[in-house]
Amino acid sequence: MSNIGWKDVLTDDMPVDLAHEIDIFEGQMELMGQGKLDEKVFAETRLRRGVYGQRYDNGQRHDGFESRELDFDEADRIKGPDTLWHAPGMQRIKVPGGGLSPEQLDVLAQVADEYSDGILHITTRQDIQLHFVHIEDTPDMMRRLAAVGITTREACGNSVRNVTCCHLSGVCRTEVFDATPYSEAFAQFLLGHDDVQDFGRKFKPAFSGCESEACGLVMMHDIGYLAQVREVDGKLKRGFKVFVGGGLGTVPHQAKVLSEFTSEEEMLPLVQAVARVFARLGEKRNRNRARIKFLVAKLGIDEFRRLVEEERKTLPHDDRWTAYLDTLPQYEEKPAKPPTFLNGQVHSAEFNQWFETNVYSQRQEGYSVVTVNLPLGDLTSKQTWELADVARKYVGDNVRATVEQNIVLRWVSDSDLPSLYEELKAIGLGDSGAGTIVDITACPGTDTCKLGIASSRGLAGELRTRLTAKSASLPDAIKDLKIKISGCFNSCGQHHVSDIGFFGNSRRSGNFKMPHFQVVLGGRWRDNAGSYGLAVGAVPSKTVPEVVDIITNRYIDERAKGETFQDWIGRIGKKEARGMIQPFMQLPAFEQEPDYFSDWGDPRVFSLGDIGIGECAGEVVSLFSMEISPAESEAFEAQIALDENDPARADALAYSSMLKAARALVRTQFLDVGDSPDRIVEEFKSRFFDTELFFDQYAKGKFGQYLLDRHQNPNPNPDNDSAHRLIEEALLFIEATHACESKVGGNVLVEI
Amino acid sequence: MITPHRLSVKFYFEELSVDAESFIPVFHRWIREDVVPNELLLDVADYKHILDGPAILLVGHEADYVIDFTDGKPGLLYVRKRDLGADLSNALDTTLSQALNGVKLTESDVELQGKLKLRTDGATIVLLDRLNYPNAASNGDGVNTAASAEAQLSDSLAALFGADATVARVDNDAREPLTFELRAPSAPDVDTLLSQLGTGN
Ligand code: HEM
Ligand code: SF4
Repeated sequence: MSNIGWKDVLTDDMPVDLAHEIDIFEGQMELMGQGKLDEKVFAETRLRRGVYGQRYDNGQRHDGFESRELDFDEADRIKGPDTLWHAPGMQRIKVPGGGLSPEQLDVLAQVADEYSDGILHITTRQDIQLHFVHIEDTPDMMRRLAAVGITTREACGNSVRNVTCCHLSGVCRTEVFDATPYSEAFAQFLLGHDDVQDFGRKFKPAFSGCESEACGLVMMHDIGYLAQVREVDGKLKRGFKVFVGGGLGTVPHQAKVLSEFTSEEEMLPLVQAVARVFARLGEKRNRNRARIKFLVAKLGIDEFRRLVEEERKTLPHDDRWTAYLDTLPQYEEKPAKPPTFLNGQVHSAEFNQWFETNVYSQRQEGYSVVTVNLPLGDLTSKQTWELADVARKYVGDNVRATVEQNIVLRWVSDSDLPSLYEELKAIGLGDSGAGTIVDITACPGTDTCKLGIASSRGLAGELRTRLTAKSASLPDAIKDLKIKISGCFNSCGQHHVSDIGFFGNSRRSGNFKMPHFQVVLGGRWRDNAGSYGLAVGAVPSKTVPEVVDIITNRYIDERAKGETFQDWIGRIGKKEARGMIQPFMQLPAFEQEPDYFSDWGDPRVFSLGDIGIGECAGEVVSLFSMEISPAESEAFEAQIALDENDPARADALAYSSMLKAARALVRTQFLDVGDSPDRIVEEFKSRFFDTELFFDQYAKGKFGQYLLDRHQNPNPNPDNDSAHRLIEEALLFIEATHACESKVGGNVLVEI
Repeated sequence: MITPHRLSVKFYFEELSVDAESFIPVFHRWIREDVVPNELLLDVADYKHILDGPAILLVGHEADYVIDFTDGKPGLLYVRKRDLGADLSNALDTTLSQALNGVKLTESDVELQGKLKLRTDGATIVLLDRLNYPNAASNGDGVNTAASAEAQLSDSLAALFGADATVARVDNDAREPLTFELRAPSAPDVDTLLSQLGTGN
């Protein structure tokens, strides 16, 4: 029994390509363990599978008095630059559009309690994160997720990140049409696509069904799609207004219009052209300027658009551009129950309160969307499978994670609402106040993020507790304000687009540092993150609850009838706004207020000593390095197959590893080589073999010949000897590929 | 039997007059003072906002210590994650002795002393390994690992907790990990248990 692993048990349940990718990743882990893989290449490889670093993984932790070494075993073993192998990490799990089925929830809950700390965390981009995960557990975790159709591929790293989509798409009262199947087709098309492997930075897409609501947050994304219908030749056509170059971070950018209308047929080729332009011209050396927003700003949107249009003309045709359209008519969500209505029965005050804030009446009569308000985006494994059962009973597969770190149950038949509420309450998930001032968003911050400066989660928890305690008496004017908190200027908590936003920083008082939050006021969540807030000054972390009171009270007192928070901030101006928080900017000395010198939920005396080098930017390594690495891993797997007395598999893997290596080399000159072995070998031969570029000084064409021979004359019955020989040849071939690449250099500009 | 991927033991509070938050500074101090032998302590995670769940975690490399309120039953949960030993029996010894050591540290902590008490006459034991210890009637191949594990736990635990100690499988959801309930009416105190396990002082 001991030799059977998840890999064996789940063979038939995993999609073959996912299973193979995970095997390759496991092989790369093995090679890394043997010191045979470059640390940066491995770091980027794992990041592209969602395997992220976590705070203290450089082996240092400040205990409030001094920085201490964390004494992990095998201290010289690493999983990336300055990142210890055994230090726990974060696993990001990509959830396109936030869509989850009960079956997926079940498995997520199980991997969370076996491999992390039993808590699932919903992120601000509809992903799920698990923390404190050991890297050695990740391949099995990925297998278990793959078996229920979840991939972690490209959840991090310099690639296309999770494709987000409004959680109300399809049931929304204001949408033009349901963007969900488009976002799914988009995500599928780009996942692992050749043209998205060579970005200098991450690339975040978002889809939205309408312009005025917030859910899609199109304006703050690298690329964003707003559903539109146009009359073309007398017929109504679906398509999108396409935005490009938005983003938060230190310097937030509003996206620019790339195209007023891109038809559904052109959606995929257009993004492919954008990807190519970004890969070719985007900044690679300076990570701080590598997002597409900087390229768009540098070139100007008109020039950028021209380049994209030019690129579009050169793209080789791909049937997948339009193939997805045939599947659209079949796309539908099935409610678990027929529509019904809430009769006039009297309900408890508690239910009514929950109904007011957590229930959205769908476009489809008799159905509602229920928001499960998760404190700080967290739920336990146990709650997760309990929630899965609630979903099975009331809504089936219609579950989505939201960018406000909640989960929604869609297609709840209205008369079920009271019993659903009771069931959610029984599992500790019945909090009301979804989307209101108590429903605070926070990034991971100093809890787990290497870049965190102040405790965004600690502060969010504190504000939530205090505001919930007085929520019944909060005036309507402020009930619906949004508070969003980031632990540093990188803005993962999306503070720029909240009414009252905060991001962590620090100030000195005497000899000590004091955790602070910069106050950012008046951002606009609606209109797809329509405008960004105003930074007015930094206050000590411990004063923030009071600062929130001062600001909200002043707004209540001063606002004109119907005046929104944004308008009010606009009216009073930055100077006045700063005046409100000025009194908190006088810093007490340590002896006066020692409590100010530690953060929320963390009694250690505050320090910046734990800030590490974040992995958000990924590692900039060449496309070739990224593509040759799986080849090496496959050659390694071939050796294992041989050890296991499976020469046929060993032979196939060795051959495939040579093809991968050749393909990587060909793609330094010709990106569109495709996947067909004949084509790869043909291109390899004409570009590198016949030109003698591949030739070794002494061995000449010998190594290249190995691939040509194996390709022309496959061995129908490989035995151990022949497979062994082929593996040796594959290893030499891969070496020669490296040598050739460094001799010739690709035309893909990158640096390590 | 094969070592499970993870193994946890939860001892329950008989008295608890401090709130979950009070454990945060305590756990930070434990890290600073490196109070647990043979374990590397890493950080404290605060989940007190979750209702009836793990509230405060002392996260370690080999194990986590959790102030846990699951099902409304407060207890100290010890989750052994690495270096469990060569087989189930070893894993149980390691987990129990470290968990009991945790109980002792908690009860005798300078900030907590007198404000709480844990009981040894019952515990929940969980085999977090759905591959090797599925929570099912049988493994599908007719082998009933759960029953074998139960027998093994009963033997080992009766030797420690007294002849009247019983171990019963908890009839929980199949998605939950394989779980056992120890009842030990005549259980000895923590020190005696630790010395029997060979780890007392
Ligand atoms: C320099 C490094 C980083 C930058 C510039 C950065 C920037 C951002 C921005 C602007 C967002 C949110 C806005 C959007 O949706 O586009 C975001 C999302 C997020 N970031 Fe970061 N981030 C960095 C590093 C990290 C790290 C180290 C962590 C924690 C391990 C982290 C955790 C998150 C999370 C949880 C989200 C929600 C995103 C998702 O699920 O994809 N970020 N990041
Ligand atoms: S905003 Fe800063 S602290 Fe928060 S997750 Fe992003 S990088 Fe980390």
